[in-house]
Amino acid sequence: MRSVILAVLPILFIHAKCDDKYHEKRKQLVELELRMALGGNSTLNDKENIVNNCLMQHKFNELDYGFDNPDHYNLSHHFFNYRKQIQKSKVYKIIQSMPKGAVLHVHDMAIIGPDYFVNLTYMDHLYVCFGKPIKFWFSYTVPNTTCDGDWKLMKDVRKAAANVTQFDADLRKHFTLVCDNPDVVYPSIKETWDTFMGYFTSVFGLLSFRPNWEQYFYDALKLFRADNIMYVEVRSILPNLYELDGTVYDKIITAKAYRKAINKFLKDYPDFLGAKLIFAPSRKVDAKVLDSYIQTARHIKRDMPDLYAGFDLVGQEDLGNPLIEFVPQLLQAKDLNFFFHAGETNWFGTLTDENLVDAVLLGAKRIGHGYALAKHPALMREVIKKDIGIEVNVLSNAVLSLVKDVRNHPLNIFLSLDLPVVLSSDDPGAWEADPLSDDFYVAFVGVASRLADLRMLKGLALNSLKYSALKAEHKVRAIREFNSRWNDFVNHFDCKSY
Amino acid sequence: MDTVTAFTILCLLIVEARIIPDNYSKERRALLDEETLTAVGGKQHLNEDETIANDILMKWKMNELNESYINPQHFNFSKHYFSYKKDIEKSKVYQIIKRMPKGAVLHVHSSLMLSADVLVKLTYEDHLYACYSHDDVRLYFSETTPDRPCPTKWDLVSELRNSSGDPAAFDSQLKKYFTLDKDDGEDYNFVDINTVWKRFDKVYFAIKSLISYRPVREKYWYETLQQFYDDNIMYIEIRSGLQSLYELDGTKHNKKYLLDLYKKVTEKFIETHPDFIGVKLIITKHRAQSIDQVLEALNMARRLKVEEPDMIAGFDLVGQEDIGRPLTDFLPALSEAKGDINFYLHAGETAWLGTSADENLVDAILLGSKRIGHGYALTKHPSLMSAVMKKDIALEVNVISNVVLSLVHDVRNHPLASYLAMGAPVVLSSDDPGAWSAEPLSHDFFVAFMGVASKHADLRMLKQLALNSITYSALDDEGKARLLKVFNERWDRFVRDVITDVSLLDTNVV
Ligand SMILES: [Zn+2]
Ligand SMILES: [Zn+2]
Repeated sequence: MRSVILAVLPILFIHAKCDDKYHEKRKQLVELELRMALGGNSTLNDKENIVNNCLMQHKFNELDYGFDNPDHYNLSHHFFNYRKQIQKSKVYKIIQSMPKGAVLHVHDMAIIGPDYFVNLTYMDHLYVCFGKPIKFWFSYTVPNTTCDGDWKLMKDVRKAAANVTQFDADLRKHFTLVCDNPDVVYPSIKETWDTFMGYFTSVFGLLSFRPNWEQYFYDALKLFRADNIMYVEVRSILPNLYELDGTVYDKIITAKAYRKAINKFLKDYPDFLGAKLIFAPSRKVDAKVLDSYIQTARHIKRDMPDLYAGFDLVGQEDLGNPLIEFVPQLLQAKDLNFFFHAGETNWFGTLTDENLVDAVLLGAKRIGHGYALAKHPALMREVIKKDIGIEVNVLSNAVLSLVKDVRNHPLNIFLSLDLPVVLSSDDPGAWEADPLSDDFYVAFVGVASRLADLRMLKGLALNSLKYSALKAEHKVRAIREFNSRWNDFVNHFDCKSY
Repeated sequence: MDTVTAFTILCLLIVEARIIPDNYSKERRALLDEETLTAVGGKQHLNEDETIANDILMKWKMNELNESYINPQHFNFSKHYFSYKKDIEKSKVYQIIKRMPKGAVLHVHSSLMLSADVLVKLTYEDHLYACYSHDDVRLYFSETTPDRPCPTKWDLVSELRNSSGDPAAFDSQLKKYFTLDKDDGEDYNFVDINTVWKRFDKVYFAIKSLISYRPVREKYWYETLQQFYDDNIMYIEIRSGLQSLYELDGTKHNKKYLLDLYKKVTEKFIETHPDFIGVKLIITKHRAQSIDQVLEALNMARRLKVEEPDMIAGFDLVGQEDIGRPLTDFLPALSEAKGDINFYLHAGETAWLGTSADENLVDAILLGSKRIGHGYALTKHPSLMSAVMKKDIALEVNVISNVVLSLVHDVRNHPLASYLAMGAPVVLSSDDPGAWSAEPLSHDFFVAFMGVASKHADLRMLKQLALNSITYSALDDEGKARLLKVFNERWDRFVRDVITDVSLLDTNVV
């Protein structure tokens, strides 16, 4: 398709003497660009056109208001400032009720949101340490892990609080990055990541308590399903689960807990297609530890082939080890299927930026973020050639200080080039976003072209299945199932109900 | 086999496994080399002295960038230009760039080239009256109290200054009307684009009211040339609407008078600065004006082009693109004039995608624009991008302008990074350096080099960018050859300067 376009171009640029011809050529050029973009080549049936007309009417209303009143244009500000207003948007409501396929880039400990964790703090035998950050641990006796202060029984602390509502509201703040004045609280990427890492430390003890873990992931799947998602690939560091008596299990047990939670969920909700695991330990390790991670991954892949999707390394890329340091080992482990985070950075020409090269050369099936990709024409070509999925998480990039005004997010370049993009949400719970709908909305209204329509939304949803780790025959089934749900959505669509 | 041998073999195997295989390294190198070669400057070859100078430059660049990489909270370029402007001079990289010959400035608006400090000095001219109204000022030179509308009253600036008791404070108050950089601690991240443009227009009108007076304009222009020259710029293409100037007695000159003034003052400047090549004008009209007004300006440009072929480079439309008229409104007039005058159109100076300002890019290309002003939105248009590359249409990129005028916050997200990587025909310029009191071009070069370009980008990119400004200028072949000659001489001198400067030797002393 691309070579055809190039052949057409010279004809388009012969200058027209007469105006009609100019306008015709202009129209062709504008349409050519729209056709080249993601979803641009597909056509809508009559029913879909009705949905599209409704969707676009609302999209133009919202966008044009923002265009005329840039001081009120939400999407150029911080997500925390307009988070709640999204829910009033009709475009958002349509997107929410639309089947969106799969979520392929999400970290397990940041899916559900702060209220869930506040509830967990009401459980028995919970100890709290008011350090920086706050830590929790379930135990029969006072935990012997380190604490910058004293371990206290949560129950006692809460009882001693003058005002429990206020106490819980303050506690809740530890489980979210959301705040009222984000531009003051997070002046640079350092403050954002410090808080973000603190979040993980705080929820760690609450979640890795074995009984909570299984329930938590079950509840997370419920949330995905409610957001019209039918399949999930979740990244996990596989925390070692523990019991009240201090028993600590190995990572295989954590994987098994996953399998158990998923199977239970599938039994309760047979319309859900399933979930798979991408083992994604920290990138801040040495070669020896990486060896042990690779072994664990092989073990899970062998024992639980249906659960295992692949391998990744996580943590703030700018501060962790670059992939190049692990290339010798990773080359020996290509059987693990790589889904590397790469290029989640604003820096150009740094080691982090060059992780993109290694992700491509190591044969990654998909790349997490690939934010820096637009600055690398040769790598972009390879991504297209090798059909490597790009997992884009717009809200994550905005919250984690890569971009302020989402209109400058490179996703718009990826979309206009029809790169194999899948939209995802990274850590939606940590910034109180939807499992996927908020990300879809911001990408559609804030990043994509004003003219991008239902075809792009459908194309993005289909990509999420196409680039999933599902086996070929399961993929076919998933796409068939998606199409049938899509038809339901289209057939029952009533513009007035939004 | 005894256990020791087995252990040794095992160790060897492990060590082997830790080495990156040759074919991998080769493939990796090939990709990275391809990108380096594709990028702007990638094909430049450095001679021996240049290589030494480059080593010095890159040593400082790495030093300064690594400091920000480790402490991103100190990384200035992710913040607003006004917050780090004062620190720029401390940078060794900046000091090198400042001394570097940069060729030409090709995108700059004639009334907004001089910084507020210098403008304040011009208010010391006799017979200057001021009319203050809440947050605005109008200036007018007149023998007697101006007979012009004023919501408050006209006062002699000299009297106001004298009676203020603190002339320095008076001047710093006055200065605020001439710049967007008010040093008032405001968080510019919260200011929306329309508000910024309103302030920008206000600054423009205040300055314009000062420099519409013929004798002041002469001084303004001479001083501007001096500052650009001092910033190592040898040739300028200015965008000008050719306003009418007036004399003390109220006589008004016609528009062509200003063109003659530019010519005359520039010639005078060249007398004492013989290696300065000169100035050309791109005649502009505000895009919010009516079709007839634009047509009138276009016809004037065509007429002037016949009268002063050496002075007139072309035609352009200016003003905030988002809310101005799209190029399509002016199509008949523009297509009709295409044979007589070259276009250097502002297009795609917008963060929006799929709007009329964004689509101005289509028209700029179809109308045969020689260069495109900004082209900020271009990366989002793959087929337009390939047309720009194929037709070799230069992109006039103004990074600091795009920050100040609210298109981008963290300059690392500026599309220039992609243009540089693709080896697009880029020229760096400064748009309205006077409106935010930037250096004529060095600040823009510095921010582009340190904040936007790849960490690996080096002297070759800087040289290529300077050379591009010559290649894509509106000069004829002979003019380009002259400019290139001056540039090469200055470049060699610059390289020698850098490699013999002891203050650049020790990277440990910051
Ligand atoms: Zn992630
Ligand atoms: Zn401009």
